[in-house]
Amino acid sequence: MTISKESAPGPVQSPSGAPDTGILRRIPAGRASRGLITICAATVVLFVVSLIAQPDSLSHSSLQGMLPFAAVLAIIALGQTLVIQQGGIDLSVPGTVSLSVIIVTHYPNGDNGKLFVAILLAYLAALAAGLLNGLIVSLLGLSAIVTTLGTNALLYGLVISISHGSPTTTTHAMHTIATKQFAGLPYAVYYAVVLTALVGFALKRTVVGRRFEAVGDNPAAAKMAGLQLYRHQTAAYVWATLLYCTAGILLGGIITTPSAFQGDSQLLPSVAAVVLGGTSLLGGKGSPVASAIAALFLSQLDQFVLTLGVNPATSNIVQAVSLGAGVAVYAIRWSAVRDLLRRLRSRSEPVEA
Amino acid sequence: MSVKLRKPALVACVGLLAFAATACSSGGSGSTSSNNNDTNAGAPANSNVPPWCGAKKTSLALADGFGDNNWRQVATAEAKAEIAKCPNVTSFSYADGQGNTQKAISDIQGLVAKGAKAIVVFPDAGQAVLPALRSAYQAGAVTVPYRVSPGGKAGVDYDQFVSTDFKQAGVLWGQWLVKALHDKGNVLNLGGPPANSQSLAEYEGMQSVLKDHPGIKFVGPTPYSVTNWDAAQTQKVITAALAKYPKIDAITTDFGSALASSFSAFSQAGRQIPAIATEDSNELACDWQKDKDAGHEWPLFTVSSQNAMSRLAVDVAVAKATGGVMPSSTVYPQTPFEDSISGKPHPVTCDKSLPMSAFVSSSLTPAQQIAALK
Repeated sequence: MTISKESAPGPVQSPSGAPDTGILRRIPAGRASRGLITICAATVVLFVVSLIAQPDSLSHSSLQGMLPFAAVLAIIALGQTLVIQQGGIDLSVPGTVSLSVIIVTHYPNGDNGKLFVAILLAYLAALAAGLLNGLIVSLLGLSAIVTTLGTNALLYGLVISISHGSPTTTTHAMHTIATKQFAGLPYAVYYAVVLTALVGFALKRTVVGRRFEAVGDNPAAAKMAGLQLYRHQTAAYVWATLLYCTAGILLGGIITTPSAFQGDSQLLPSVAAVVLGGTSLLGGKGSPVASAIAALFLSQLDQFVLTLGVNPATSNIVQAVSLGAGVAVYAIRWSAVRDLLRRLRSRSEPVEA
Repeated sequence: MSVKLRKPALVACVGLLAFAATACSSGGSGSTSSNNNDTNAGAPANSNVPPWCGAKKTSLALADGFGDNNWRQVATAEAKAEIAKCPNVTSFSYADGQGNTQKAISDIQGLVAKGAKAIVVFPDAGQAVLPALRSAYQAGAVTVPYRVSPGGKAGVDYDQFVSTDFKQAGVLWGQWLVKALHDKGNVLNLGGPPANSQSLAEYEGMQSVLKDHPGIKFVGPTPYSVTNWDAAQTQKVITAALAKYPKIDAITTDFGSALASSFSAFSQAGRQIPAIATEDSNELACDWQKDKDAGHEWPLFTVSSQNAMSRLAVDVAVAKATGGVMPSSTVYPQTPFEDSISGKPHPVTCDKSLPMSAFVSSSLTPAQQIAALK
């Protein structure tokens, strides 16, 4: 577990010597976080419940249908994790994903030859959006909610001006890139696994990553330790939008005729995945691997409820209760609950005696 | 955003669209003349002017609650082509509410304040825009909402509501299913967001036919599986249904394009695409053609996507504002369009010259539709 706000390190004596001492040393990197253990356990339980209650939801074709969407959500959740680790939140997910989808479908318009340029253009647009978000939040100090909401509106303006709201069929190569299978799994799953491993490794095992978490956990202390806040905060938004763009490109390939507003449905699940993965909304503490597994959890939950065939109201309630239970795991102080139970027990014993 | 056509632009537009109007006319009128002669006041400009275009001059506005999708773009182009037939419509303004109810309301108020004497409204937000419609009506503008009911009453809150009977689409699907499935089979019905009136009415329409054919049963949630008219959600719903139901003989849906995106789910599950009853979509027709050429034909039936419904709304608004003859009905009929089994009224038609997002049932010419979807 990483340090909490209360146990944040005090002033560091020598800022120049910061990387090796004090603040960074106090954030453990190697152990599996409580979030990771919890979400792994919850995912195993969900798969077992699925197997017992609705085995069809784990059939081969069902998994083949669910996994590409889980991969897309996992990649978006990785980006959202980075931003939330810096104490921010990124509401420009729908705009970035939709714009990427639109660029990689409308520009080639079915022509595989133009796909490479389209992908480059999509990444350039994402880079610009990420820089805009990051620089405004970190340098001008504007609220992340307001900034990313504004960027989202700007991106939607671009989406509408390029697409006029009309869907376009994806190219054959795009479809193959996203959905072709290797060893029984769609390519999209491998991209998600590789990206999760890369982000997880970078955050937990490199100096840059440890600094990044330190800045998110306690910006004031990190600043005193000599770390440049704006650089890390901007990087969070830039890497996040590049990840959303990757997810958008995959989504464009998975859905053969994606709508112009395909990113709309990705925002809430992305935040839900981050929260379920145990990343603190206050910043700092977080686990990209846990967020990615939470994305798998949410996608399977969705598929499980769909396969059950319950009405939409029940489906929404089941998902909300699962999310509530997931959040409660972190929100409830279990030690206090244990103390309360112990007190109640000790009070009841004399009465019996 | 408002697009205002000045008189010369309108005249040019009339000229450009004149030929198309001949083929497209829903009222059976011929091409219009670009002669906009004031001396003819009190009588149609010439015999080619449709009867709904009266003698008085008027200015018309179209307030779209949400204008940025392929259906609306084609519908707006249809409305413009219809307006071009009436030389006494001297100006035309368009406003896109962009899915924002506040903007849609202020658009209606703004267009009336700017002097629109007749206003056609697509009230996406339903009853939320009723007060704006009422104030436009009370300010003396001819107010004609269409397709989505805003509630209220004609003659009190607005002049006339131009509607369509979605239940009838369901009836047509039901009748075709009986024929295509030979009285026996499982049907999966897909709809939009929960409790939306269009999907519910379509289900009711199908039920009214299928209750006499007990061999045809619905599988999956009824009245419909919720897809939110979203391609990704449709794909997830189809995946789940294929996993759960080993036998699905037909799918009915009011958004054919989204279903076309889910065809890969069938091949993943090693299943054939079943019979499909829906609204027409060029993409769906082209997918059908591709599968047919590959020897995997599946039965397809479509009803018209009704983009030309905006023409009827324009006819009603202009007739009221100019003193023309009102159309005989203000209900736009649901009509069958393609049937792969009988080939009537049309065989399945993939038009490769049109974008995949186009509607072959539209009464616009291909060039007009390409321009509308650009």
